[in-house]
Order: sequence, then structure tokens, then C-alpha cells
Amino acid sequence: MNVKSHLNRLPFARIAFRPMVSSLLRQKYAFTMLVLQIALTLAVISNGLFIVSQRLDILQRPSGIDEPNIFVLTSSGFTENFNPKASIQSDLAQLRQMPNIINAVATYSFPYSGSSDWDELQTVAGSDQNTVPAASYKLDEHGIDALGVSLIAGENFTPNEVLWQTESNSTFPSVVLITSSLATDLFNTVDWSSVVGRTLYINATHSAVVKGIVKQLQAPWSPEGLIENSVIYPRVIVRNSSRYLIRTQPTLLQHTIATTERYLSMSNQQRMIRKVETIETMRQQVYGPDIAAVTILLVVMTALTIIAAMGIAGLTSFNVLMRHKQIGIRRALGANKIDILNQFFTENIIQTTCGIFIGCILAVGLNIFLVSQYALPKLPLSYIISAIICLYVLGILATLKPALKAMNISPAAATRSQ
Amino acid sequence: MFNYYLALSLKSISHQKSLSLLISTTLGIGIAACMITYSLIHLMSKDPLPNKSERVYHIQLDNWDLNFAAIPPDLPPEEVTWRDAMNIVHAKQAKYQAAHAITWGMVTPAVKHVPPFLGIIRATQGEFFPMFEVPFLYGQGWHNYPANHVEYVAVLSKSTNQRIFGGINSVGQTLPMLGKLFTVVGVLEEWHPSPKFFDMSFGAFYQAEDLYVPLQIKAELELPHGGSSNCWETDLGDQYQAFLNSECVNFNLWIELASDQTKQQFEHYLQTYVEQQKVIGRFPKVTNNIMLNINQWLAHKEVVGSDIYLFFYLALLFLLVCLFNAASLMSTKFTAKNSEVALRRALGANQQVIFLQCLTETIILGCLGALIGLTLCIFGLEGIKYLYPNFSAFVYLDIPLMLITVGISILSSVLAGLLPSIKVCVLAPAGYLK
Repeated sequence: MNVKSHLNRLPFARIAFRPMVSSLLRQKYAFTMLVLQIALTLAVISNGLFIVSQRLDILQRPSGIDEPNIFVLTSSGFTENFNPKASIQSDLAQLRQMPNIINAVATYSFPYSGSSDWDELQTVAGSDQNTVPAASYKLDEHGIDALGVSLIAGENFTPNEVLWQTESNSTFPSVVLITSSLATDLFNTVDWSSVVGRTLYINATHSAVVKGIVKQLQAPWSPEGLIENSVIYPRVIVRNSSRYLIRTQPTLLQHTIATTERYLSMSNQQRMIRKVETIETMRQQVYGPDIAAVTILLVVMTALTIIAAMGIAGLTSFNVLMRHKQIGIRRALGANKIDILNQFFTENIIQTTCGIFIGCILAVGLNIFLVSQYALPKLPLSYIISAIICLYVLGILATLKPALKAMNISPAAATRSQ
Repeated sequence: MFNYYLALSLKSISHQKSLSLLISTTLGIGIAACMITYSLIHLMSKDPLPNKSERVYHIQLDNWDLNFAAIPPDLPPEEVTWRDAMNIVHAKQAKYQAAHAITWGMVTPAVKHVPPFLGIIRATQGEFFPMFEVPFLYGQGWHNYPANHVEYVAVLSKSTNQRIFGGINSVGQTLPMLGKLFTVVGVLEEWHPSPKFFDMSFGAFYQAEDLYVPLQIKAELELPHGGSSNCWETDLGDQYQAFLNSECVNFNLWIELASDQTKQQFEHYLQTYVEQQKVIGRFPKVTNNIMLNINQWLAHKEVVGSDIYLFFYLALLFLLVCLFNAASLMSTKFTAKNSEVALRRALGANQQVIFLQCLTETIILGCLGALIGLTLCIFGLEGIKYLYPNFSAFVYLDIPLMLITVGISILSSVLAGLLPSIKVCVLAPAGYLK
């Protein structure tokens, strides 16, 4: 008895569920539509959030190079007596002496460039062995400094290990650098110093000794998600068009681009300088579709949330309007303002809960479809839970304004005829 | 009578301004989301040669290493070798046939005020132009030359003609490039096939080439191998000729069948060709020739990215949410009119009249939704152009799409309003008249 009277004083204890449910059931159609809407919103938001977080993971993946301070340009010789090797050597020597430039290298492959060969590497010779695919970089001894990659074991190339070759020359160098991820895949160890000095075989035939391990260097493009596996050969390919990758001192990038471009075009009139691009802009292009996908998904989810909120708010305001007199009678019979507020919030919570039950089934269904169509991983429970919390908060916020209006209906409304 | 319904509907809509606007906006947003994503799919998978796409085929032959697949799991390479390109084109087994590859080289105009530039060049046989219905502004292309016949002629794109000759009719003029003197035989109209179905090695929406030259020029001047170039033999040697004689693939091979020719006939020819080559020791693998017509080829290359389909499915769900939302709002809208309807019923209006009245109102709301939807569509497509700069050349709202938008909007509005309208019609008037 005592306990019951105490409970009666708590606001929620006075919530009468039965009349509320029956009032909801009187508007079967509007109620069903709202529940279905909440269910679908839950399904889309939970899966959408999951896809967005997956894309953000890809976008935040570091490439291993000093991205903000690197730019590239192409030097294309076009006259009969243009000497590509002499041009590359003198250009690089000059560039490396410039005060704003940390280092420079001639290469067509770098992260986000989208062009490189993939080689099959193995630890035992012979064509019947297991192979690990790796993207190949061709760099001279300045390469790793120009990219800003750090060596975690072994040593860099020496100048006389570097082979200057034409495009079709396929002599393989005797030493290579590999990334730590590739070292793990090949030799099954994380003790980098033990890998230095080991022999690996390239495309089943050519052998080379691992001279050093770099911490991270992403592949220029990735056919099947093996983006961390790269091998660096001490080679420079000489052709009429060469691409220079230039790393500047921090914050001097834009300034250096202008001076370098001017200097190179003036220093040798037998070639033209073109395709001057920063790594950042190339990154934007490579990841453009992912950035677009994230943006579009976020816009759709925001719009969906707003639509759902408008639907809830619209229906509740209408209910307040229709039950004006009923609320007045309740107030006149002794219900206080909090009771009226509770009535609308509880109605909303009942609606949202119904929607969430159906929504969970839909969310899992949608995820099964996405898994089968897009090889997407399974939806973690945490995304459904966060979407559920979002929907409850959304429901409460959307009900707030009409419920406050209902709360302030005066008991005198009971006496007026509608 | 219709005018009366219209007047009543407009009055009712203006009476419940905010509710009506909410319904239309909801519909409009849902429809805009659907139409933006649908228009991307529609525009990206548009048939580039609608009147003959089923007769134009992309040819693939499997000349790869016995132990490896050119394209996993076991597909032939997408390009063919120089030797196969020459043999098949010169056998003339179809109406049109052309092999082509992308390359580049320095263009050095004789006029002083035009600086030399690096031209992106398509080296191709002449039947490329009629086969792909390439539009000419001046002059024309060339016929397929006999094997080893070198002719220094070039076709310029409209922008290249503008750049070098200031846009005049330059047919017959000479143009120094690649160290030789070429004669201009044709200038193209603006031509930006999207998707660029005939060579997607740089992506399906890559820009058009600056110049076109006969394929034999590529061998004669030893031009670089652009686009997708793949080899499986090792140690080819340094010679350019070695590449041409090798099993390296670099050339896109397309044919157009005559209207009375069947695909089987050409497949049979390819079969016998590969068998002949097997006799001289080529084609170690099991014969695996693939002929895909343009639309099959576009589908195979998945020109419409899976992301776009994902957006479309999500947009459909979004439209469904908007429909449910509009339906619940309409239900409240019509419930609010119960007493008015009861009065009209009591004064003699029958159920059909009330239903038509409600229908008129939902159609007007649908039209309003279409208007909002179209406006949002225009902004949305601008957003798409910003997010996908590659698509900006072909993203626009065409008339069929606009009509679909209006149609879907009215349909959704009627769907959303159907049940509430019926409910209003069947209600007994007596209770509301008190």
C-alpha cells in the first residue's frame, strides 16, 4: 500500500498505456505508415553508416610517403638530338642542389600515380612455388628520401648498384628494397633485420638479395586490395618523357613548384615541362569516387532523418489539434501538465519501438543483400544500436514542440465545443 | 465539374498550406533522390550506336601462356597482338573491321605562333570512322590501307583544328609532326563518346584523342605503346619489331557485321583462324574466342560502377520512406476534412464525386512535388558533376527523364493518397453532422 502510493507520485507511474494504445489503433493507417517509415529509416541509416565508415577507413589509410610536400612533373624531349639520359642526370643534379628541395627522383611510379608493373615474388626458385604479388618501383639511391619513406632495417642502394636502362632492357638488379608488409608475407616474420640479406626470386627466374626494409610504401594502384606490398628495384628507365618526383621543404611546396617549373623550362629548350601536379591533387582524383560516395550517403541519410522527423512532428501536431478537447477534459479531471507531456512522449516511444522491431529485420535483410551484391562485410551490431539510439532521440525531439503545445492547453478547453 | 474539383482542391490546399507543402516537399525530395541516381545509370549505360550496336563486336582471342590466364579466372586478354590485328583486318570477313591503339607524339606546327605540343594520337585503320559513325566537319577518313602501306595522313579533332589552324577548313593542309610531314584529310565535329566504349584502357570516361593517324604509322615511326599493353613472354629483346612479332597485346579489335551476316559465321572464321595459328605453334591454350557486341561489352566492363547501383537502391528505399511519410500526412489531411465531406455527402454528393475530388487534390500535390523534385534534381546533378568531374561531360536532365520524374511524382502522390481518399469516401456522414 505504502509502496504503491509512493509509486503513484512518480510521473511515469501515472501513464495509462491502454487508452494510449487504443488511441493509436484508432488511426491504424497513419500509425502503420509511420512505423514502416521508422523501420526503413533504421535499415537505411544503420547500413549507410556502416558503408560510410568503411569508406572512411580507406580514405584515412596512409600511403607511407610525405604527401603534403611532394609534386611531380613530366619533362618531354621532342627534338632529334635530345639526350634523355644526360637531361635526367643534369636535371636531377640541379634539382637536388636547390635549397627548397629535399630530394628528387625520376620515376613513373609513385603512390596514386596509377601506373606500375606487378611482379610475382617467391622465396624458393622454380615455377611451381607459391608466389606473392608486389607492385614494383624503379628508383635510384635518392628514391626513398625523395618519397620520404623511412628505412627500418638494412641499407639504401649505393650509386653503383643503380642500373640505367632503356624501356625494353629487362636485366634485373641484384639487390632490392621491400616493404615491411611484403617482408612479412614472404618470410613470415616481423624481425626485419633477419630478412635483410635473404634472397628472393622475381617472376620465378631472377634472383635478388633484400638489401633493406622500408616501413610503408603503398602500391601505385591496387588490383585486388594488396596495396601494402611493394618492391623497389635500383633502376632508372631512360625515355624521352620522364617524370620527376620532387620533395620540398615543409610549407614551401607552392613556391617551389613555380620556381622549379620556370627553371626547368629555361634550362633546356629541347623539351617541354607538362603535367605539373601535386600528390595531394592526385590523391583527390584517386579517392574521388570514395569521397563522392561518402558525401552522397551522408546527404541521403541526413535528408532521410529530416523527412522522418517531419513525419513524426506532423502527425503529432495533428493529434494535438484533434484531441484539443480531450486534453482539456483530462486536464479538468486532474491530469497535470507532465501527464499530458508523458502521454505524447509515450505514444511516440511506442511508435518508435514498433518501428525498430521491424527495422532490425529490414536492416539485416538489406545487409544480406549488400553482402551478396557488393561483397560488403556483415553489419556489426553496434551500427544497429547506434541507429536505434538516433531514432529514439529523433522521435523525442520531433515530438517536443507539439507535446509542449499540448501541455499548455488550458482545462477550460473542455467546456468549449469544438 | 473538373473546374469545380480544381477550385475546391486549391482552396483546401491553401487552407492547409503548411501540411500540403510538407507532403509535396516530402514527395519531391524522395523523387529527386531517385531521379538523380537513376539519371546517372541511364546516361552511363546509354547505347552509343543505337541503330547498329548489336552488329558491332569487340574481338578477344586467347593467345596467352598455357599456365596463366590473361585475366583471371580464365578470360582472354581484352586486346589483340599486332599480328592478329593485321591478319584479321586484312582477311576482310566483316563489313567493317579496324584495329586501333592509343599513342602519342610531338606535334610541331609550321606556324610560328602555335607552340609544339604533345598530341594524344589514336593510330587506327580507316574503317574505324564509318564503323563508329564518327561525325566529320570537313573532309573524311581514309580506307583501310593494304598491309605495309604507309600514308602520312591525319584526321584532327575539332579542338586540335582550332588550336593549329584556327578552325578553318584545313583539309589538304600539311602538318609537321612526329618528325614527318602529314596531310590533313579530315576534321571531326565535336565527338566525345561517353562511355568511350572502343578503348576503355584509360577509363570509360576519358577524353577524346587530339589526332587520328593510320595504324601502319605506329609501326613505321615506332610510336609508344599507349593504353593497355601486356606481354607474357620474357626477354623479348630491344627491337620495336620484336614487340610487333611477339605475343604482346596492345590493339583493340572491332568489327561490324553486315546486316545479313550472322555472329556464327564470324565466330566460325575466328575458329578456323586460331586453328591455323595453332598449326604454326601459336595459341597454346584451348581456343577461347569472345565476341561481345557494344552493349554486352559495356555490361562486361561494368561501366556503371557498383557504387551508382548502390546509391540507386538506397534512393529507392528513400522514396519508399517518403511515400509512407506522405501517406500518413495525407491521411491526417483528409481526416481533418471529415466534417466538410460529411456536409457535402448530406447535400447529395455521392462517393464517386468525393473520391474524384480527393484524387484531384492528390494529383495537384503530386504536380507540386514534381516541381520541387525537378528543382532539387537540377541542383543535385550539379552536385554530382562537382563530386565526379569525369561525368560532367554527359550529365544533364533530358526530356524523357523530366517526363519520368513528373509521372513518378503524380503516381506516388496518388498511391500515397489512395487509401486515405477511400476512407474519406466510405465514412458515414451522420456522425460528423452533429
